[in-house]
Amino acid sequence: MTTAAVQLANLAEGPPDPELIRIRDLIYQVAGIFHPDNKLRLLNDRCGRRMKERDVKTLRDYLQCLTISPSRQAELMALLNEITIGETCFFRNPPQLDALRQIVIPKMLEVKAKLPFRRLRIWSAGCSTGEEPYTLGMMLLEDGNSRLKDWTIEILATDLNERSLAHAKTALYGSYSTRNLSAYYRQKYFAAAGEQLEVQPAARASISFNRLNLSDDARMTFMKGMDVIFCCNVLIYFDLASKRRVIQHFYNNLLPHGYLFLGHSESLYGVSDDFRLVHLPGTTAYVKAERTRGESHKV
Amino acid sequence: MTTTAAVRETLLKRLDGLHQIPTIPSVLAPLLHYLQKPVEQLDVQKVTDMIAQDKSLAAQCLQMANSPLFGRWQKVDSLRAAVIGLGFHRLGDIAMSCGVLNMLPRDCSSINPVAFWEHSLGCALVCRHFARKISFDDPSKAYLAGLLHDLGIIVNLWVLPHEFGAAFELAKTEGIPLHEAEERVLGFTHCESGRLLAERWDLPPDVVEVVSLHHQPRKSESQSALVALVHISDLLCRLSGLNYGYVEERQVSIVEEPGVSVLAQRCPSLKSFDWARLTFELDDYMDEVHTLVHSVYRT
Repeated sequence: MTTAAVQLANLAEGPPDPELIRIRDLIYQVAGIFHPDNKLRLLNDRCGRRMKERDVKTLRDYLQCLTISPSRQAELMALLNEITIGETCFFRNPPQLDALRQIVIPKMLEVKAKLPFRRLRIWSAGCSTGEEPYTLGMMLLEDGNSRLKDWTIEILATDLNERSLAHAKTALYGSYSTRNLSAYYRQKYFAAAGEQLEVQPAARASISFNRLNLSDDARMTFMKGMDVIFCCNVLIYFDLASKRRVIQHFYNNLLPHGYLFLGHSESLYGVSDDFRLVHLPGTTAYVKAERTRGESHKV
Repeated sequence: MTTTAAVRETLLKRLDGLHQIPTIPSVLAPLLHYLQKPVEQLDVQKVTDMIAQDKSLAAQCLQMANSPLFGRWQKVDSLRAAVIGLGFHRLGDIAMSCGVLNMLPRDCSSINPVAFWEHSLGCALVCRHFARKISFDDPSKAYLAGLLHDLGIIVNLWVLPHEFGAAFELAKTEGIPLHEAEERVLGFTHCESGRLLAERWDLPPDVVEVVSLHHQPRKSESQSALVALVHISDLLCRLSGLNYGYVEERQVSIVEEPGVSVLAQRCPSLKSFDWARLTFELDDYMDEVHTLVHSVYRT
């Protein structure tokens, strides 16, 4: 048995390893992503992979790699990569998607009903290989003949990585990405392309892909008039100061009462007070709160 | 709408005439009374003997004492070991939790008794956890209050199974809070029926106050902090997987809930509280509560 496997076996019987708890808290503090006790095995497993790679024997030593060693920053990035790996797939976070469709969008339509332009703009910030924006596109098409009839939906999908974007534009996906896809969506919005599945043109029509660096202040100010921003498991790679800048941009990019959705167990605590945390069935989101001072923050 | 005197009268009559509502299990009242004594006056053998009088309660207690939710990582195989390992009050919490389970009708066509118990137990655990996080002075009281807050649902299930079933169905179909549906269908809520039973059982006044006012925390005068604590924990549970078996289709801003400002007067740390983290921590309870409830329910 490897050391990590032994520790994992212990975890099943004994209280969580205090070192693992410290790594959990470090990740929450630095990246804003939280592993509840019942997800500690997963974290232990991810640490185990890094420990194997680094040839580190115990969690205690690995904690030192993350905190004291000169390469701690690089190691933290490597661990965060492990933590979010394999996260991307279609319909990744169903409670979040349900909340958008059943609660958030109806609220928005009500607020915007009186405006001359019947338009909703959704931004998938850090869209990786495109699963998230395509999911949003398909899901909203489902309401195209009812609630969203006569509404124009624009989905802006951006990422820093050119290769991810190139993949997204091909709209071709393998079995791993499509593992959560229901038979209904598979049949309605995909066509077989050899071993893979290709997203059908109808589900691609409202989506535009662009390269964007979230740290590029000049370009960020152009992203105006958003109703909803999805930014899942992206901010975890930013340090606190950069995170604050990005969140400040998001605040300015959103329309009044716009929504910001983060990844599962990701939090803005200690990053920004400008958003109000709201609870939705099985998920949380951040709503742009009205500023009392009535001014827009400078970035 | 408030309960009219006539409805209340009818309810009281039916409550009085009904003998099959399980009384507070005969073992529990003296046990709870005994546990009020200072710890140095408590006797392990006496507590063990009291619980052992009820064989099925004793078996359930033992099963719960072995759950990680109650902090045991080594197997406990006797009541005596459980009292010594967990402490008097923890075991009192456990005995009371089993008591609530045993009061539920085994078959009912509306609310699933398993889901109801999951909600009660989950809420008790969340209350205790939340109380500790904000340095509320009596986490054990918070547990008891969380466990019993929905006592009125048990009353409604026994006294008005048909009418309550209609209210539950309405709540489920429209995705609205149960007490709102009860108000519409029955003209009163489980808060009122719960109060009748809690008073009849001679429960401590602070628990009676929680039972009757947990949906209207502002109305509580003498126990406002405890009522507010249960109000918030209950809300978080209903919006997570620890609900009654249906999802409330709505958005809640916890910081704007009336209970929060009430509680913040007693617990100042609530003014800059990490609500997101508390929400993520609830995930810990979901799987454990689910496993535990299913194993105990079969005994």
